[in-house]
Amino acid sequence: MTPLAVDGLRRSMEGVFASMLATCDAEGTPNVSMISQVHYVDSQHVALSYQFFNKTRANVMQTRMASVQITDPSTFLHHRLDLDYVDTRTSGPIFETMKAKLAGIASHHGMDGVFRLLGADIFRVVRIEAVPGPTLPPSEPRRLLASTRLACAELAAAQDLETLLDGSLRWLDVHYGIRTAMILMLDEDREHLFTVATRGYARSGVGSEVALGEGVIGVAARESTPIRIGHVTREYRYGSAITETARQAGLVSGDAQTIRFPGLSAPRSQMALPIRGTDGLLGVLFVEDEEAMRFDHEDEDALAIFADHLAARIALFRREEADEMEEAAPDPLPEQTGQTLRFHPLDQSVFLDNDYIIKGVAGAILWRLVREHRATGRTEFTTRELRLDAGLRLPAHAENLDARLILLRKRLEERRTCLSIERSGRGRFRLHLACGLTLVEADSDTGGSP
Amino acid sequence: MQSSPGTVTPLEDIAAWQSQRSGQDPRARLTPDLVALAQNGATILLGAQLDGRPTVGFGVCCRALPDGYLRIILSRSANAGVLAAIAAGGRLAATFTGAPSHRAFQVKTSRCRVGAATQDDRPEIERQANLFYDGLSEIGFTRDLAAGWLALDMADLASVELLPERVFTQTPGPGAGAELPR
Repeated sequence: MTPLAVDGLRRSMEGVFASMLATCDAEGTPNVSMISQVHYVDSQHVALSYQFFNKTRANVMQTRMASVQITDPSTFLHHRLDLDYVDTRTSGPIFETMKAKLAGIASHHGMDGVFRLLGADIFRVVRIEAVPGPTLPPSEPRRLLASTRLACAELAAAQDLETLLDGSLRWLDVHYGIRTAMILMLDEDREHLFTVATRGYARSGVGSEVALGEGVIGVAARESTPIRIGHVTREYRYGSAITETARQAGLVSGDAQTIRFPGLSAPRSQMALPIRGTDGLLGVLFVEDEEAMRFDHEDEDALAIFADHLAARIALFRREEADEMEEAAPDPLPEQTGQTLRFHPLDQSVFLDNDYIIKGVAGAILWRLVREHRATGRTEFTTRELRLDAGLRLPAHAENLDARLILLRKRLEERRTCLSIERSGRGRFRLHLACGLTLVEADSDTGGSP
Repeated sequence: MQSSPGTVTPLEDIAAWQSQRSGQDPRARLTPDLVALAQNGATILLGAQLDGRPTVGFGVCCRALPDGYLRIILSRSANAGVLAAIAAGGRLAATFTGAPSHRAFQVKTSRCRVGAATQDDRPEIERQANLFYDGLSEIGFTRDLAAGWLALDMADLASVELLPERVFTQTPGPGAGAELPR
């Protein structure tokens, strides 16, 4: 009998092969079936998917015992686990992870809608037996630990938030070969995430939004747990649902204000990892690939460490920035001609002529900056003054302000506007106007400078 | 991969059972389509109870015998628990799952016997293994993966012969697990 160490068997629980499950009723009559998921919970526990009230389920409730056989897809070593039932989860991280995986497995086998997760049955592993038989030698271990060390060193060297966020995605490519990835930050309303950095997509999609609970990213955020699936199904894909979400979030009129989510059109593997600070969720790191089962438990470990380091660096920049309190002297007044910048107070969206720029907090900030510039000629601003500006409707602890400024800077650049902002020091940034602007606040109908 | 060709439902299993039973010799334990499913590269799972706990095992080939028994060939060392349970007089469950259809049925019995595998079993092991690889390739597995899962030592084979007493549809979907009455 092998010492209890389920950790070493995680590769057998990736779901490459279906597993076998035997149970018995109180009279000792056995029942045996295939099971699509044996989910690793911790070194002592696994979870099985409860999908139907069938004989297996009745037997488990009656005798609280099961036997499963799992198979390592690279060595073909089978293991038999004796299991004792503990309880059933119908919500929370384990349930949601299994639900996402099951949807993908069902879709992969042409059985959408047939499999539905009713619960995650948690079992304690009481015995592990290696099944004798022909096996292959283990493959060369991947160098994920070395990659993680290098990637975390890069995180530690980043000097500002934008370098950190954009760099993170570059380092995922360089050190892990992950080519399509994005970082989303939690919105102040804590109901949405907004995309602040992307890499590897046809369009950046910076500023696009995902609601909590929506798809792999939204579920990972809501449950604050990594979600990893090897067969992506429509249920967890980001398409038209995003547009609808954005519309429901209080936008004034339809599609113009919606930035499309930049994800792959046909992803097969996805993983979303929470970026967690000491006070809760900061955002989500999301990676995906067109290859099925691209990310395994080891990748999840590596990227979870990476995401934790990323969180620590984000928190550090926020603290440093909060300590800085400087204000710059005003510059000369600009001309008042050229393009029209229009602000819609209802959703705080900003349009340059007819081109949608941004909405929400970032939109309010932009409007505030150009008005201030118009009134005083200032071009240098501090994040501190924005935090203190009651007119911006920032929540008490607007921890995402830096991320908002990065988002705003990228949107201005992407839309090729005559406006730009750049970081000019710790806690400071500069507004550039390459054209004259007419400012219009839509609802009040006050043309020109308010 | 989307909907697999030939996918069936438990309700279709029940209908097929009823229609084939109506003209069949009442002594027959299984319908012809289930006999065909069992003998053509199905995944064969075995369940038994040993020392008060369930134990799981697997076969590599099945032959329907003229007396109604199903002869399952399996690795002796990989199925020590199931073989010990049968030797101790315990009941046995066997589930046969076809690919790519995912059609499956389970038989349960208290009438089973353990024996040796013979030279006669070998061509059938080879033929059914090839069908097993073909079926798994159709649902996205490489032949290497399918062969690795089924790999066995030909010097380590045993046989289990069982007479189905109860039969159940095990095809995934509404109605799965329903008994197919004799």
